[in-house]
Amino acid sequence: MSSRVEILNDGGYRSDGRRQYELRDISIDTSQQGSADGCCTLRHGLTEVLVTIFGPREAKMRSQTLHDRAVINVEVNVLPFSTGERRRRARADRRILELAATIKSTFEPVVQTALYPRSQVDIYVQVLQQDGGLLHACVNATTLALICAGIPMTDFVCAVSGGVHSTEPLLDLTMLEENDLPHMTVAVMPRTGKVTLVALETRLHVDRFAEIFKLAGEAGQALHKEMKRAVRNRTSRLVDAMETSMKQPVGGERDVVMEDRMDF
Amino acid sequence: MATASISKAERTYIQSSLQANPPLRADGRSLLDYRTVFLETGVAPLANGSARLNMGKSPQEGGGGTEILAATKLEVEDVETGGGVDGGRLVCTVTCSPSAYPQLSSNALDELQYDLTTVLHQTLAHPALHPCNLGILPRKKAWLLSVDLVVLADAGNALDALFMAARAALWDTKVPRTRPIQYQGRRGGGANEDAMEAEGDPAAGARSAFDTRDMKRDAADFELPDYWDEGEVLDGRDRWPVCVTLNLLPPTHFLDATSSEEGSAPVKLLLTFSFPSNQPTSLQAMRMIGSGELLLAQMKSLLADGEKYARDLFQALEAKLRDEDVRRNVKARGKFAMR
Repeated sequence: MSSRVEILNDGGYRSDGRRQYELRDISIDTSQQGSADGCCTLRHGLTEVLVTIFGPREAKMRSQTLHDRAVINVEVNVLPFSTGERRRRARADRRILELAATIKSTFEPVVQTALYPRSQVDIYVQVLQQDGGLLHACVNATTLALICAGIPMTDFVCAVSGGVHSTEPLLDLTMLEENDLPHMTVAVMPRTGKVTLVALETRLHVDRFAEIFKLAGEAGQALHKEMKRAVRNRTSRLVDAMETSMKQPVGGERDVVMEDRMDF
Repeated sequence: MATASISKAERTYIQSSLQANPPLRADGRSLLDYRTVFLETGVAPLANGSARLNMGKSPQEGGGGTEILAATKLEVEDVETGGGVDGGRLVCTVTCSPSAYPQLSSNALDELQYDLTTVLHQTLAHPALHPCNLGILPRKKAWLLSVDLVVLADAGNALDALFMAARAALWDTKVPRTRPIQYQGRRGGGANEDAMEAEGDPAAGARSAFDTRDMKRDAADFELPDYWDEGEVLDGRDRWPVCVTLNLLPPTHFLDATSSEEGSAPVKLLLTFSFPSNQPTSLQAMRMIGSGELLLAQMKSLLADGEKYARDLFQALEAKLRDEDVRRNVKARGKFAMR
């Protein structure tokens, strides 16, 4: 037994030195990627995902459009070197399709698709590294990327995973903990307190469910603060850039040159 | 290759400004200038070697440019029963993110991926470049070295960037040390006594059944000795090739085309050179992409020019890789010793 990693030791610490309810550190990068309308690289502990948004734009296949709202299309690509063992997953892998479908159904009620009839919003998710909490990292990164793309949403969507070790609830599980514990992912809309996603793939005792569910809701609020700060930072940077360009009109010098030429 | 669709007028505009005297490019470069290349190695913690390369990122906005992520991973393969090859093998795969080519359908994207994979794999997996430390046990076990490249964004000249990223990732690759082991029956004992029995019996003799000396010939299995570093560097660091794409516009040619320039150059000539130390330079691959013709005499001068550009690129890349090596290994070791 001693060689096994303890999930939660007597001092109340987990295998990576966190407390029960402590989240891993998050870093958010919303800088431009190629020609995407919005993108976000989110690193949650050692899990790293890159989400790019295109749209709302004309659909590649007109037959798939809807006359009264936009269609959300999610494509997930898991890089072969993202896990310990190299494994190529085809794009039509069941596990990947399921992840894509989950992301899609999470965002359908939040994105105001009715504003863009007959168009399509493409969400491309690249999984660069996996260390547990893949779904919640994808959801959080997608929220931020959608905001960066300027697509109207009713609220943020903040997701976090939670599990239970004997009777002790834990938040934000790593791969090691996910393999051993029953766990679920909850996505909340922090302002309204509504829940758009509850994903549970393992068996969880019914008495424990309510506790984790509530905790995950509270953790969502904490994540919301972090995500809001990232959005604020990005927006203030944009505003600053706009102001500096307003102060120095580009045409200023050229106008003088034009006048010189007029003298001829 | 996939090029952004540009209008006839735009194409003529770009072509005529490239052919003008002095030639003009939208970003102010001269014909033979490369965009700024950013390179970082060791970006994927779970890979044996990795690199992230960005070509043409704008420093103010922190975005744009062609972005490639490359990683190598080693797996053990069985030569007798599995698909392994004695002495190891190299497999190269290119994946294109749909966000790099938003205009392409998924079928077109698959085709593009296949094209790029073919070019990379045929060049890098050639026996002339094969590293000699990919074997583990002769005729039994060997490493499979898989090189995975991902195009995260394409702002033109993806092929040069892919080759550069592949070279950086392979340069960064560490092969774990292995030690062959074998079980032996007791000397002079019964013929049917197996190794486990010999090990359990303390009177069996001074020699341990678990012997690692002189076993290169008939070792059965191998072990990974516990050591402080990640292993030895992959052999043939200096051989991995670099690629230059010459975009031909009849009287002249230009390097490192952006997407719109790529769309307006009718013919591209792909040259891949390897510059092994103390050996003559070798041309590893050559491809003409696009429709058009070239005179043989022209071809010769293009080859000579290409070699010159590739050498410059190679030297710049080599300097950067050595720099990265110092940053990640020498300095990290110093920091560790300070603690």
